[in-house]
Amino acid sequence: MALGFWGVGLPLGAFGLLFSETTAQRLTVLALAAVFLAVGALIGRAKR
Amino acid sequence: MKLAVVDWLFIGWYLALSIAIGLYYSKRAGKSISEYFLSGRSLPWWLLGTSMVATSFSSDTPLAVTGIVVKDGIAGNWLWWNFMLGGALTVLFFAHLWRRAGVVTEVEFIAIRYSGRPARFLRGFKALYLGVPVSCITFGWVTLAMVKIIRTVFGTSGLTALAICLGLTVFYTTLSGLWGVVATDMLLFGVAMAGSIILSVVSVEKAGGIGALVDAVKAAGAANGKDYLSVIPPLGQALPLAFFVALFVQWWAVYYPGAEPGGGGWSAQRMLAAKDPRHAVKGTLWFTVANYVIRPWPWILTALAAIVVFPGLTGAAPGETEAAYPRMIAFVPKGLAGIIIASLFAAFMSTIESIVNLSGSFLLNDLYRPFIRKDASEKHYVAVSRVLVLVIAVLGAAFSYVLGSVKMGWQLVMELSAGIGLVLLLRWYWWRVNAWSEIAALGASAGTAIVLKLVPDNPVVRGLGRALERAGFAVDAWGVGILLIVAVTTVAWVAATFLTKPDDEAKLLAFYRKVRPGGAWGPIAKLNGRSYKLQAAPFAGWALAVVMIFFLLFGLGKIIFMDWGRGAAYLAAGGLAAFGLSRIIARMDWEG
Repeated sequence: MALGFWGVGLPLGAFGLLFSETTAQRLTVLALAAVFLAVGALIGRAKR
Repeated sequence: MKLAVVDWLFIGWYLALSIAIGLYYSKRAGKSISEYFLSGRSLPWWLLGTSMVATSFSSDTPLAVTGIVVKDGIAGNWLWWNFMLGGALTVLFFAHLWRRAGVVTEVEFIAIRYSGRPARFLRGFKALYLGVPVSCITFGWVTLAMVKIIRTVFGTSGLTALAICLGLTVFYTTLSGLWGVVATDMLLFGVAMAGSIILSVVSVEKAGGIGALVDAVKAAGAANGKDYLSVIPPLGQALPLAFFVALFVQWWAVYYPGAEPGGGGWSAQRMLAAKDPRHAVKGTLWFTVANYVIRPWPWILTALAAIVVFPGLTGAAPGETEAAYPRMIAFVPKGLAGIIIASLFAAFMSTIESIVNLSGSFLLNDLYRPFIRKDASEKHYVAVSRVLVLVIAVLGAAFSYVLGSVKMGWQLVMELSAGIGLVLLLRWYWWRVNAWSEIAALGASAGTAIVLKLVPDNPVVRGLGRALERAGFAVDAWGVGILLIVAVTTVAWVAATFLTKPDDEAKLLAFYRKVRPGGAWGPIAKLNGRSYKLQAAPFAGWALAVVMIFFLLFGLGKIIFMDWGRGAAYLAAGGLAAFGLSRIIARMDWEG
């Protein structure tokens, strides 16, 4: 599950950087990507 | 609209990840029925709560909210926000009892609570009714809605992608059971929310930013004589009956999938799959907060932006207003559009996988095992479960293919069970409720709904309508119908309860000892030698939960619309209520 969140979060961040047309879009997508990575980390820690 | 290669890459990658997660759990799910349908009763609160909210977030939910906001403004959402009252009730009064009951399905509750032939009939009937027609109609409705979205966005060219997505979802769900469902739900809910948030940001930008959006929506409202931004319906003149019914009747009376009075369907399945009663309570609370506070604002913003971007939308037909949501995707730049489409697929998949797993549990646990083959091995039951899940998926897909519109059928299913909520609540807390009470409630509710469908304009409806008008309500047919169904159903099941014998004492005593519900269990508590009391704390907790959800929901709205002062005050009030509620939940003895 943690890998799933990182697997979505990383491309989400990359797509946000590459394809956003405005600052608001870029910030939103990057913030969402950060949430995905953080949730992935939390799940990974909970599993350990 | 034509997606770029990068968009398809994201969609393909996301699908592959979801399926890999689902398949990872297939071996574990195959061990037993408890693993296949209840994840071995080991789910922590955050996983089961997220799974509940992912399931209730279907692909057509944002479209429905868009339609509501375009027609009646933000306040129109009270049509479903009212269910927060029932949701909070389930958190404080029922979630722990479900987990203590230790049954496999909502329908099996009948077997531990009621006795005799009526109980056996009721269990078999409900297993078949919820397992086949209700599941197939829900499956068909959700799939049909997704087909409409895909057609709006891509034309017919996207339907192949949808068929592949559906096939893969059914494939991993069949193999991985509830384990696969809840694990993928985590990711699906995340992707679904991410897509709706990105779409709302793009939509607001398209409308000129939040300030320009508010001004333009206010101007559109002034032109139409409406306040689209108000969270409270107009109460200046007559009180709309629909609002009254939604706020004071619907949440405890109507059996709505995902918001069943006292819990039921997929929400009960997840409470039953919790590690312990406390996790069931906390998970249901997380679901209620996520469902009512976190989900709606991105959809509402997109809907308000659609009013500005598509002039004339407020006067359009319902189908057209709902289609405004997928139409907004056309403004999303290349590379991000794939995320939005993936989010719609995610919402679709999370609902489909839960429907087929749940209906399989009804058919296996409450029909096949008790009535067809009693003493087979766990491996046999898991194999049969997988076949049943597959059969339901095929039937549901056939339903969506054959029927042009499932909406009428779906509304009928809703209306058939519109009055049964009270008996579902009281069966936990009043010893006298028996199988006949539920049978009478189901029969009366369905009978009244059918009569109202066949003869909508009859003397009783007219009389009740006139009486309500005299009482100061702005009357509508839906509100009158619900009130009538609830009244007839309540009289019927209360009469049936007193006209029939109570259940066997041994059965009631076993239930009372196992579930420890409290409430009106006088004679049984005496037999038990120990009485379980209904404490004051859950009542206070319920009030605090409602206050918390209300203030957090509207506080978030105020912040989004840059009304900083009131937003901060609302959020502070919500935070205070949340603190009080957390103290109550921490102190209560959920194990009993």
